[in-house]
Amino acid sequence: MKLYCLSGHPTLPCNVLKFKSTTIMLDCGLDTTAALYFLPLPLVHSPRLSKLPGWVSKDGAINLEKELKECSGRVFVDSQPEFCLPEKELLDLSTIDVILISNYHCMMALPYITEHTGFTGTVYATEPTLQIGRLLMEELVAFMERVPKAHAASCWKNKEIQRLLPGPLKDAVEVWSWSKCYSLQEVNSALSKVQLVGYSQKVELFGAVQVTPLSSGYSLGSSNWIIQSHYEKVSYVSGSSLLTTHPQPMEQSSLKNSDVLILTGLTQIPTANPDGMLGEFCSNLAMTVRAGGNVLVPCYSSGVIYDLLECLYQFMDSANLGTTPFYFISPVANSSLEFSQIFAEWLCQNKQSKVYLPEPPFPHAELIQTNKLKHYPSIHGDFSSEFRQPCVVFTGHPSLRFGDVVHFMELWGKSSLNTIIFTEPDFSYLDALAPYQPLAMKCVYCPIDTRLNFHQVSKLLKDIQPLHVVCPEPYTQPPPSQPHRSDLMLELQPPPMAYRRCSVLRLPFRRRYERIHLLPELAKSLVPSEVKAGVSVATVSAVLQSKDNKHVLQPVPKVAPVAPSKKRKRVLEEPPEQLKPKTLLSGAVPLEPFLATLHKNGIMEVKVEETADGHILHLQAEDVLIQLEDDATHIICDNNEPLRTALRDLVLRFLQKL
Amino acid sequence: MDGDCSSLLPAVCLVLADPKQTPPDDTSLEKLLDWFKDLHSQSNGQVLLEHQPCLLEFISSVCASKATDPAILSFTLKLTGLLAASKQDFHLLEEGGHLVCVFEREAWSVCDLWEDASVRSGWIQGLLNMLKHQQALDFICRQGLIKVILQLQNDRSLFVACLANQLLVQILKLLTPSDVTSGSDAVVSSKSSSSLDWVSVSSEITNAVVEALSSENHPQVLQGVQLLSLVLSQCEEPIRSSLWKDVLPPLEVLINRGSEPLTQPLMTVLRAAVMTPLLGQSEYKVEEFLEVMLGTGNRKEGILCATLIVKLEKCPKVLKRKAMDIILLPLQCVSTQSQDEKEVDLVLKEPLSQKALCISLLVQSLSSLAELAHKEYFEGVCIPSVTSRVVQLLRVCSGHCTSSLLHVSACTHLIGSCKIQRCGLDTLGALSVYEDNLDLRKDIFGVLLDYLKSPDSHATVLKKTFQAVLRWIGVCASFPDLLQFISNDLFPVLEKRMCDVRWEVRDSTLEFITQLTVALSDNSGFVEVLYTSGLVSILLSLLSDTEGYVRASAVTAVGEAVTSSVQQMALVSKINLLEEALAQMMIILSQDTEGFPRRAVVKTFTSWLKGSNPITALDSSLSSVLSLGGNDFDWEVKMHTLELAEALMEKMLTCCPYAVQSFSSSERTRLTQSLSKLKDLGLFDVLLNGLFDCDRPVCEKSCQLLLKLKRLNAEKADFDHDALVLKACGNRWGDEVQSRFLNKQQVKASEHVLIGGGEGTEKDLHCIKEIPLSVILQILDLDDMQRMLKLSSDHVVNSPRSLMEDILSAAQQSEENIVDCY
Repeated sequence: MKLYCLSGHPTLPCNVLKFKSTTIMLDCGLDTTAALYFLPLPLVHSPRLSKLPGWVSKDGAINLEKELKECSGRVFVDSQPEFCLPEKELLDLSTIDVILISNYHCMMALPYITEHTGFTGTVYATEPTLQIGRLLMEELVAFMERVPKAHAASCWKNKEIQRLLPGPLKDAVEVWSWSKCYSLQEVNSALSKVQLVGYSQKVELFGAVQVTPLSSGYSLGSSNWIIQSHYEKVSYVSGSSLLTTHPQPMEQSSLKNSDVLILTGLTQIPTANPDGMLGEFCSNLAMTVRAGGNVLVPCYSSGVIYDLLECLYQFMDSANLGTTPFYFISPVANSSLEFSQIFAEWLCQNKQSKVYLPEPPFPHAELIQTNKLKHYPSIHGDFSSEFRQPCVVFTGHPSLRFGDVVHFMELWGKSSLNTIIFTEPDFSYLDALAPYQPLAMKCVYCPIDTRLNFHQVSKLLKDIQPLHVVCPEPYTQPPPSQPHRSDLMLELQPPPMAYRRCSVLRLPFRRRYERIHLLPELAKSLVPSEVKAGVSVATVSAVLQSKDNKHVLQPVPKVAPVAPSKKRKRVLEEPPEQLKPKTLLSGAVPLEPFLATLHKNGIMEVKVEETADGHILHLQAEDVLIQLEDDATHIICDNNEPLRTALRDLVLRFLQKL
Repeated sequence: MDGDCSSLLPAVCLVLADPKQTPPDDTSLEKLLDWFKDLHSQSNGQVLLEHQPCLLEFISSVCASKATDPAILSFTLKLTGLLAASKQDFHLLEEGGHLVCVFEREAWSVCDLWEDASVRSGWIQGLLNMLKHQQALDFICRQGLIKVILQLQNDRSLFVACLANQLLVQILKLLTPSDVTSGSDAVVSSKSSSSLDWVSVSSEITNAVVEALSSENHPQVLQGVQLLSLVLSQCEEPIRSSLWKDVLPPLEVLINRGSEPLTQPLMTVLRAAVMTPLLGQSEYKVEEFLEVMLGTGNRKEGILCATLIVKLEKCPKVLKRKAMDIILLPLQCVSTQSQDEKEVDLVLKEPLSQKALCISLLVQSLSSLAELAHKEYFEGVCIPSVTSRVVQLLRVCSGHCTSSLLHVSACTHLIGSCKIQRCGLDTLGALSVYEDNLDLRKDIFGVLLDYLKSPDSHATVLKKTFQAVLRWIGVCASFPDLLQFISNDLFPVLEKRMCDVRWEVRDSTLEFITQLTVALSDNSGFVEVLYTSGLVSILLSLLSDTEGYVRASAVTAVGEAVTSSVQQMALVSKINLLEEALAQMMIILSQDTEGFPRRAVVKTFTSWLKGSNPITALDSSLSSVLSLGGNDFDWEVKMHTLELAEALMEKMLTCCPYAVQSFSSSERTRLTQSLSKLKDLGLFDVLLNGLFDCDRPVCEKSCQLLLKLKRLNAEKADFDHDALVLKACGNRWGDEVQSRFLNKQQVKASEHVLIGGGEGTEKDLHCIKEIPLSVILQILDLDDMQRMLKLSSDHVVNSPRSLMEDILSAAQQSEENIVDCY
C-alpha cells in the first residue's frame, strides 16, 4: 500500500492511495497562493495600476519590462494570475480509478486532473460539494475572463532569470507547474465526471475496496472518507470541524479501528479561536461603521460567509447597525445564498428543523427580505446606482488579485475611516495587501478557521485509536512563528508519518488476509474435526476462482471430460481429481509416554537431549536419532526401513489425523 | 411583659403541654424562645417565674407526660435553660426539683425520646442557655452531666456533636476565672471551688480530647481537633496552655502523619494557636508544627500555611523566609528560564504536570501573593523579580511566552486558563503598591494591553485586566509617558471593546472608563486626550445600546466625562457634548423600558449638581428630571430623584446654615427666591407625592426632606410664610392634603360657629385649591409619620402577641377539625 503525495499544502491536499488493486486520488486541492505574485486585475481602469514602471535589472542586463512591474516597492508579474497545480510527474495520473472529494475547497484543481491527463475514472462527491464547488469554479473563471490579458508572462520563469529577480519572486517554487485558470468548458467537462454520493453510502470499487463518505462538520456536504477492504481500513480525514456552525456535525465513531488514518486539513491558524475572531470581526465592523467608515470583507462566496451573516444578523441590532446596508457581490452571490437554503438535509439539526416550521434555515433570507442584505453579480449594473455609504461589502477574491474586491481596494484604500477585515485564513494578509501600499485604510486580521485544532485532534485520535497516522509535515512541528508552542503539533505514539510534496510513502501495514467464499455444495462435503474446544478443522480440496477481486472456492469437478487447458497443464502436472488428499497430522508427541512406548517395544537405551525447539532422542543400540520438535518430527536412521516405519507408527499413535 | 401577653401565656402553655394537640411548627416555637430570650435580657432582675407560675406547671407537666412530642420536649429543655440563666429563676427551678426533672433524662417518663436528635440538641442548647453562672456549672458537674456531654461530642448527628463542643468550651470558659480571679471575686470563687473541683472537671475534658486525638477513628479525631481549636480561640489561661500541654504528644503525631483529610482542621488549630501567647514559646512547638505543615511546597495547604506564617508578627525570620519560598515556589517553577533551580524542579515536577493540581497550586500561590501584597508583607523579597515572574506567567497563559520553559507540560495547562489569568491579574494589580515595581511599568502595561487586545480574553478576565490597569495607572500618574500610553495604546483598545459582541465586556469597559475619568479628572492632559480621541462619540452612541446595563453604565461614563470637561474649562466650548448628552439622557429617563438606565440618569444629575463646578446648562432640564423621576414607576428611580431634590435643597437653601439668628433682609429675599424657584422646578410636588407613595423608603425619604423644610421654616420665623402657595389641585398629593386641610378648617369653623361666626364655607372651598407651603407642612403630622415609617413594615405581624394568638387559634382550629371528623 502506497501513498503518493502530489501537494504539500496541508489544507489543499491531493494524495493518491494505491490500495489493493485500486488507485484512489484523495482530494484535488488547488493552491491559489501563487496568485499573490501577480498584479491585481482591476475591474475598472486604474490609472495607478496601468502606469507602473516595468522591471529592469540594475545592470540593465535583464529587461522584463513587459512581464514584471514594480508596484509599491515590490515586483509583480503582469499577467493573468496563475495557480500551483498538484504534481503531475510523480505517477501516471491516467491510472487513477477514482477521485474522492471531501469538500468544495478541495476540488478546485479537478479540471487540471480530469481534462489533460487521460483520466477515465469517476469522481465521487456529495451534492452540495458538487454544486457549491461548481459555483466557486465558475466564479473563478468569471473573475479571470472579465479581465482578459493579451499574453501570458513566462520568460521570468526561466531558472537563470528567476535567480536574479528580487524577492519574493526569486524564492517562488515550482514555478513551472504554475498554470493559468481553466475555462468554463473544462469545468463542465470535469464536473460531468462526478457521481453523487450521500453520507454513509457504501460505494464498491471493483469489488476490491469499499469507500464511504462521512459527515465532517466543516462545510455544506463536506465529508471524510473510509476506504476499506474486508481486513483493512484506511480513514481519510480532511477539513473537519467539531464546532456547532451550519453543517451537519462530524461523524466520529465510524473512524474507529482504522489501520491508517490520513489526517489533513487542520486549522491553518491554530492560535486563533473562531469564537474570539468572530467577536473581533463584529466589534471592528461596528467601530468602523459608527465612525462613518466602510467595511470591506474579502471572502469566498460560500462557507464562512453564511456564519458571518448569521452572526451579524444577531449583532446588528444590539450594535445599532440596523440601517447600515450589507452588500454581497459575486457572480454567484445569488446562487450561493439560495443553494445554502435548499440543502436542508446537509445542515445541522437545528437548521434542519427550521425547514419544517417553515422557515428558511439561514437568517440571511430575512436580511434579504428586509433589504438589509443586497446581492449583486458585479459592481457594474444595479449596484452602482443603489450603492449607499457607509456600508459593509462582502466580495471576492480573498487574495485581492482579482474579482470585485480589487475595485473596492482602489476606491476605499485611501481613507483611514474604512477598514478591511480579513476572515479567510488561506492568504497572508500582508502579502495580499502588498500591491496596494501605502494604504490608509485600517486592516484587521480575523481569520476564522473552524477546522479542527490540535487540541481537538489529539482528543479525537485518543478516541478513535488509529494504528498509524499519516499527516503533512508541518503538523509534526510547532508553527515556525511560535517555536515554543509545543502544544500546536501532533505528538503521537507511534509518531505520525509525515509527508511533503512529492513524497511517496509505503504505508506501514501488510495485508495478511483475503476473504474467500466457499460454495454451499463444497461446504457440505467438508468433514470438520474438532482440534480443541470451539476450533474445528477440515481439509478442503477445491478450485479457486478469482474474478473482479472476489475469490470463490468451487468443488472439484468429479470427472474431467474436458481436456485440461494450457494454463492448468502448466501449473498442475495431473488433473486435481486424481490427487488424493494426504492425511494431515496435528498435536504434539509427549516425551514421557513416548519413551514408555519405546520401552514397551523393546527399545531400552534412549538418551534424551534437550534442545531449543524440543528434544533429541538417541536410540543408542539402534543408532537412530529422533528429533521431536513442536512442528516436526524427524526419524534419522540409516538404511533400516522397517525400523523407521515401526518408529513412525509409534510416533503416529500420539498424533491426531484429519 | 405587657398585659396582653401575660394573659395569653397560661393558655399557650396549656396548649403546648397538651399531648393531644399537634405541636406548632418549629418557627413558632423558635420565635417564642426568642421572645423569652428578649424578656430575659430586659428583665432587670425581675423573677419571671414568680409572675408566671404557669411556666413551672408547663415544665413539670411536659416532663411528667408520657406522650410528649419530641419537639415540645426540645422546646421545654431550651426554655428551662433560658429561664435558669437568671440566678433567681435558677433557684426557683432547682428548689422545685424542676432542673433535675428536665435535664436528668432518667427522670423523664419516656426514655426513648433521647433517641430523637432534636431532643438531644435541645438538651445541650438548654444547658448552654443556662450556663451563665457558676451555680449552673455546679449543677452540671454535680449531676455528672459532663460524661453525657462528652459522649454527645461523638454523636451521630453533626449538629449535636458541634453543639456539644460549644457546650464544653463554655464549661471550660466558666471554669477559668475560679483560679485566676482575685480580690472582690475571691469569695465567690472560693465558694464555687469549694463546691466544685474544677481541676477534675477540666482534666476530665482534657483527657477526652487527648483520647480523641489519639483515636484511630477519623470522626472522633475530627471532633477532638475541632474542640481544641475552639478552646484555643475562646478560652483563657490557664485552661488553654494546660490543655495544649496535654494534647501536644497526640497532636504532634497527627501533624507529622500528614493525613490529607485532617490538614484543613489542623490548620484551623494552628491558626487559633498563633493568635495566642503559645506562639513564641518553644516548648509549645507552635512554630515547629507550622514548619511541618508547610511541607515541601507541593500541596495547596502548605501555601495556605505559609500565608499564615508570613502574616505573623512574632515568628522566626527563618521560618518566614521558608514560608515565602513556599509561596513563590510554583510561580518560580513555571516562569523560570534556566536550570538554576533543579531542586525546586524535582519537588514540583509531579504536581505541575497534572493539570488540576498545577492550576490549584498556582492559583493558591498567586492569591497568597495578592493577599500579602496588599499589606506589604514582603520582607527581604526582591519585589521586581516577583512581579516579572507574574508578568511572565501571564504571558505564558496567553500563549505569548517565548522563553524556554522548564515545564513544557505545565505550560500547556496554562495556555488559556481563565482561573490563572484572573488570579495573576489580581496579583499584578495588588503588586502595584510597591514603588520598586515602577521601572517595570512598560512590561506590565504591555502584558495588560495584550490581554485587553486578545480576542480570546474571557469577559471576566477582561474585567480583572481593567482593574489591574486602573491600579497601575493610579500609581504611574506622575510619569509623562502615561498619557502617551493612554492615547496611543489604551484608547484604541477601549474603542474596540466598547463595540464588543458581549454586553458584559461593553459594560465593564464603560465602568473602567468611568473610573479612569474619575481617577484622572484633575489631569488636564488626560481630559484633552479624552476629547481628541474618538472615545466620547462612541460613549454617546452607547447611550442607545440594546442592553439596559450597558446604557446605565454609558450614562454614568458620559456623566463623568462631562464633569471632567467642566472641570477643565478650556475644552467645553469646543464640543457640544453636554447638549447631546442632556438630550439623550432625557430620552432615556422618559422612554427607557428598564430601570437601571433611568436610575443612572437621575444619579448623574445629582452628581453634576453636587459637583464643585456648576453646570449652568442643567437648569433647563432639572424640572423635567424632577417630574419624570418623581413619577417613575420604579421606586429606586424615585429614591434617586429624592436624593436629587435633597442636593438641590442643600444647594439653594443652606447658604449659611449657622447664621440663622442674624437673618438680613437680603438673605430673606434670597431664601424667598430660592423657595419659589424650587417651587417652579416642581420640587415640592416631588416631595409631597413621595410622602404618599406606596413604597415605604420613598415615603421615609420624602418625610425626612419635608421635615428639614419644616425646620427651616420654623427657624426663619420672620420670613413671609404665605408668600409660597402651592396648587393642591391636579396633584396626587392634593386630595390627601385637601382632606386634612378641610378637616382642620371644619374644626376651626365649628369653633367659630360656637363663638358666633357662621360665614366662610365658600371661601374655604376656594382656599383649598391653593394652600401655602407652611400650612401644608403644619397640617401634615410629619413627626408622627416619620416615627411610623421607621418601624419595619411587618412590626404588627411579628409581635409576640400575634404569635401566641396564632398558636391558640391553630389549636382551636385543630379541635374544630377533630369535631368535624367525628
